[in-house]
Amino acid sequence: MDLNLSAEDRAFRDQTRTWFQRNVPHSELKTLEERRAWHRTMFDAGYVGMGWPKEYGGQAASPMKMAIVADEMARANAPAPINGLGIGFIGPTIIVHGTDWQKQRYLRKILSAEEIWCQLYSEPNSGSDLASLRTRAEDQGEYFRVNGQKIWTSGGHISDWGILLARTDPGVAKHKGISCFLLNMRQPGVEVRPLKQITGSAEFNEVFMTNARAERADLLGRLGQGWEIAQTTLGFERGGNSIARVTRYASAFDRLVEAARKLKRGGKPLLEDPVVRAKLGKIYAEIEVQRYASLRVLSALQKGDSPGAASSITKLSYSEFEKRYYELCLEILGSYGQVTDGGLEESSLDVDSSSGVRSSWAYAFLWARAGTIYSGSSEIQKNVIGERVLGLPKEIRADRVKS
Amino acid sequence: MDFSFSSDQQLLKNSARAFLDEHVKPVHVRALWDDPRGESEALWKEMAQLGWLGLALPEDAGGSALGLVETSILQEELGRAACPSPYLPTVLAATAIARFGSAAQKSRWLPAVAGGSARATLALLERELDWSPTSVQTRAEERGGKVTLTGVKQFVPWAHVADVILIPARVGSSVAVYAVDSSAPGVKITPLTSMDPGMRVCTVTLDGASVAAEARLPSEGALPFLLERGAVGAAAEMLGAARRCLDMAVEYAKVREQFGQPIGSFQAIRHKCAEMLMDVENSHAAVYYASWSLENGTEDGSLAASVAKAYVSDASRKVCGDAIQVHGGIGFTWEYDLHLYFKRAKALEPMYGDADHHRELIVRRVAR
Repeated sequence: MDLNLSAEDRAFRDQTRTWFQRNVPHSELKTLEERRAWHRTMFDAGYVGMGWPKEYGGQAASPMKMAIVADEMARANAPAPINGLGIGFIGPTIIVHGTDWQKQRYLRKILSAEEIWCQLYSEPNSGSDLASLRTRAEDQGEYFRVNGQKIWTSGGHISDWGILLARTDPGVAKHKGISCFLLNMRQPGVEVRPLKQITGSAEFNEVFMTNARAERADLLGRLGQGWEIAQTTLGFERGGNSIARVTRYASAFDRLVEAARKLKRGGKPLLEDPVVRAKLGKIYAEIEVQRYASLRVLSALQKGDSPGAASSITKLSYSEFEKRYYELCLEILGSYGQVTDGGLEESSLDVDSSSGVRSSWAYAFLWARAGTIYSGSSEIQKNVIGERVLGLPKEIRADRVKS
Repeated sequence: MDFSFSSDQQLLKNSARAFLDEHVKPVHVRALWDDPRGESEALWKEMAQLGWLGLALPEDAGGSALGLVETSILQEELGRAACPSPYLPTVLAATAIARFGSAAQKSRWLPAVAGGSARATLALLERELDWSPTSVQTRAEERGGKVTLTGVKQFVPWAHVADVILIPARVGSSVAVYAVDSSAPGVKITPLTSMDPGMRVCTVTLDGASVAAEARLPSEGALPFLLERGAVGAAAEMLGAARRCLDMAVEYAKVREQFGQPIGSFQAIRHKCAEMLMDVENSHAAVYYASWSLENGTEDGSLAASVAKAYVSDASRKVCGDAIQVHGGIGFTWEYDLHLYFKRAKALEPMYGDADHHRELIVRRVAR
């Protein structure tokens, strides 16, 4: 056991810190073009797609180096590069399952954000039970005809391509009849409608496919292999990058303490109130534990161990913590915590919660509700942990009995 | 960076597990619960032979000069076995003597501890249960090469079997720590009966106890050292108890059937077990991060010690309690072994500062 960074990683961290200090944009990126430009700057500096193999334009960088970059970005409050889904896991999924032609055609443009990607998995009636999805892809020889509806498509409105799960064989068990496609979003049969969330913004969309066309050359993997491929994708997604997340929590904590110094109860600063102190101490201990646990996961990744189902523990832990955390923040900040606009210093939160834009405590509080639902809800994570990590017996399920 | 155990550390863990699985089974623990002394001389000697007692002591004292990570590994395994043993207070007091003691104190106590012929403990609490040195009321009067100690120390772990007791006492406006021979005149030790008979505690009354002036630890800093190390040691032991309870709950959920199915197939049970695992894994990260950081003197070592104690106190109580819940009625019986670990975790909660105490320390460090 040795928790020191290696000399090489320390040097890389210092160099990365300097780069972000010099280059991070000073004003909010409002348009897609501004975000694309920032993406390009980061890409040219080698900070995008670092984990990809060299032959596809990446650097095969170590998990530690990628964590360092994410952490320094959080520290510098840098906006995220665009095309996060494409780079984070759709590209890597194509690398694992794609044909040579698909790799040639798509990968470089994902990295450079020339083409932006979204994920077409969830459906209105297929959330936790994703494998029950009903979007159909019918074999027409040269292409597949796609009909159905997807939901929770993050970035759908700016995407050029989507990774799609659709049913190609309704006659077999539900997990076996699903195939995976790369779908052109810029075609007449694909309609994208923004979906406004409880935060008031619309990062997600609904996507309607009416006789849309998926080319046969864009079938990813074999027919019927879709579910297996989706597991790869979700695995990339659940691994997450938790060190950077913890850095954001810690910087929000500093702001919270500042506020607790200024706000008063009974004539005395909140920070001197023993009840408030006990709550702050408890939540800070949790932030630290999240940090230690992230380092442990990172150390395992660094050694080449795949966390597999254990990544569900990380996801469950941070997403549930994040809800408790922002609940406490709003409790301490009172009405200041609920202001979404109006320029009050106490109400703004200079760290991003997901999208790389400046936000408010209220936004972070509301957004935290998403974490325990997306990418497998907490209840699904607990099923995964129970079955695949602890080896508890599977529950008797109506759909398993049928198939 | 490497958060995993080295192969030597893993070897230590495996051999400790194997030894305790064989020699400290629940039946042995129960026998010691009924024993007036509460611990086993034979077991103590074996622990010395295995090198556990001198693990973190200097080599010239017969130790192995290993660190806090190794100590925590053993401590976790002892907690997993709910082992009734003065291991934690002995190791704490001995490492404090090694760090802050005089040459004479070291040569008198360290080889004896490493060799298994002496036990040690520390008397940090008084009636008000305040871990802060400002509340120490026991007085030391130094006169003509002699020191007279007067006061009452409470909840001193394993004092009835200890050969030496570290006693903080007020000298004028400061607090000094004395290494007091438990057989010194004026030292009266009264064992108490507590919820976990595997962790004995005593009242130590110092009625003008007389020791030589050289009993004072010459170097400053022993008290915060003992509290930090104690917090991490207790957290490691609670972690072991929690992991044992988790293991038992999971095994039981696989075999116990109700409504024609193993109860582990019900989400109400499975989700509880998943949460328990999450708490245990987080506790593992907290204990070993703190152990490594304190040992290596990083700037966040003291913070990490408080984080570990605050977090693991809550987590282990919850995990051990939930294990009883998963078991249902049988988990509430004296005959079933769960309460051995449940009680050990509970017994360690107030020791070396409870969760509230450490939360306050955390706030003082991060919100100055």
